[in-house]
Amino acid sequence: MNNPHHLNPTSLKSRFTTRFLRALTKIRAQKPISSSSPTEIFRRYRRIKVAADKSMAYSVRSRRIWSRAMLWKLRSRSYRRQDPCSGRRSGKTNQAIMKKSSNGNITRRREDGVGFVEEADELRQLVPGGETMNLCNLLDETAHYIKCLTTQVQVMKKIADFYSF
Amino acid sequence: MESNAGTLETRSNRTASEREEVAALESLQFTDEIHRLMSAPATDNASSFTALLELPAPQAVQLIHSPDSAKLIAAPAPNVEDVKGGFHFPSNGGLIERAARFSVFAGEGNNKSDSPEATSNNSSANLQKAVKSEPAETESSQPLISDPTVENRGIKRKDREKVKGQTKKSKTTAKESSDDAEKLPYVHVRARRGQATDSHSLAERARREKINARMKLLQELVPGCNKISGTALVLDEIINHVQSLQRQVEFLSMRLAAVNPRIDFNFDSVFTAEGVPPQYLKELLIKLYDKRKSSGSLMDSNFSGMVMPMMWPEVQLNSNRQQYPQQLHFDAFQQPVWGREEVCNNYLTPENSLLSYDSSANSGNFLDTLNEST
Repeated sequence: MNNPHHLNPTSLKSRFTTRFLRALTKIRAQKPISSSSPTEIFRRYRRIKVAADKSMAYSVRSRRIWSRAMLWKLRSRSYRRQDPCSGRRSGKTNQAIMKKSSNGNITRRREDGVGFVEEADELRQLVPGGETMNLCNLLDETAHYIKCLTTQVQVMKKIADFYSF
Repeated sequence: MESNAGTLETRSNRTASEREEVAALESLQFTDEIHRLMSAPATDNASSFTALLELPAPQAVQLIHSPDSAKLIAAPAPNVEDVKGGFHFPSNGGLIERAARFSVFAGEGNNKSDSPEATSNNSSANLQKAVKSEPAETESSQPLISDPTVENRGIKRKDREKVKGQTKKSKTTAKESSDDAEKLPYVHVRARRGQATDSHSLAERARREKINARMKLLQELVPGCNKISGTALVLDEIINHVQSLQRQVEFLSMRLAAVNPRIDFNFDSVFTAEGVPPQYLKELLIKLYDKRKSSGSLMDSNFSGMVMPMMWPEVQLNSNRQQYPQQLHFDAFQQPVWGREEVCNNYLTPENSLLSYDSSANSGNFLDTLNEST
């Protein structure tokens, strides 16, 4: 058997794949496979989706604004789920920090001479952490986010195909 | 470097000694710089914009450079015509090259050896054209210098101060570049004739250039955006693409949740370690194959067939389409392939990565299919 493709072991794809597979096995190990009800499937779907996002964000390692924002979001959500009291506390303080930094950007409405404010706002809602970015950084982050999303979709598709036949 | 630029800026008479000194200085300092440029390795984790998008540096530089190339032709390099009379042709060419090389865009850690030459050829042609077309230009305009190293920023600022009020004025985005030095190479802004040259409009123009450069790169990322003209439509396309990608991730995670393989992943021991060494990957694959052999793959297909039609017809189509040929492959190859240990070794030993395998024609290995499209 010849191996023509030698994937870089430190590339984004391999980092994401190893992390995601690890998370998948953890999820599958938790639940017994007997359940096939839609609620169970839905619960597992939530967990798998979170695992996919989290492993992608960890692979990027908080070098990017969107990955940091996503990690923060996931972490705050998990804290809130575990312990409502502590979640409220930390969530409030973190949100206060976020609002303080982002208020200056949002309320100013960002009319800086370029004519696409509505699209930019919509893009800001799509990209995690986009509210705190000016247009320049937003486009930057969007490009990197698109690249990571395509990698994610590729890998997950291959995994799903592998296990679904 | 500073004294070198200073001597070239003045329009004093060139003496032989000055010429030699300049030539010596430039050869001294410039070769060091070129060596520094050449030896900077291109890292995978370079956070420059071009490395990030995995475009080769010259191509990205061309993209960014192209809106400025027209302006570049318009304004000549001052060194060249100041010294045009006095210098011989070889050193003239050397100066052109030097000025051209200074305008090489240098992303951090992203310097390839061909990029200085490529852009220098481009820019030297432009500069020579400029020299011939505008001999009457006598004012010493600002050289279009992009300094690849940090210590040259001081020189740039000093040169900028030397510029008197002119119609043609260029501004290197030094302050913005200090923020974006890692992200995007310098985008040069040159005020056209008759345009306002105050700092606000220049800064705005610089920002717009940056935004346009990024939009161009985004257009390449998103398929089908090249034909669309108009930034608002391109942005809409980008938004649609991001939304579709996010939805695809959701669908795929639903599918993964529903697929519910009968395979028990007993990889706890394998995955407790942080980095996954190749030995673990080998075990992982062996276990994967053993489990697939023992479990009935038909059950998986039936199960997913049951769940899918209710909610995601598109996903179901996808899985159904690929079921049958892969099943045949799998059953045919099952016995002979995975019974033998040496075949697994062939899969695993050359590479440390989980992902570097052959096409799926050989086996139903998802690791193969993982790699086929790349």
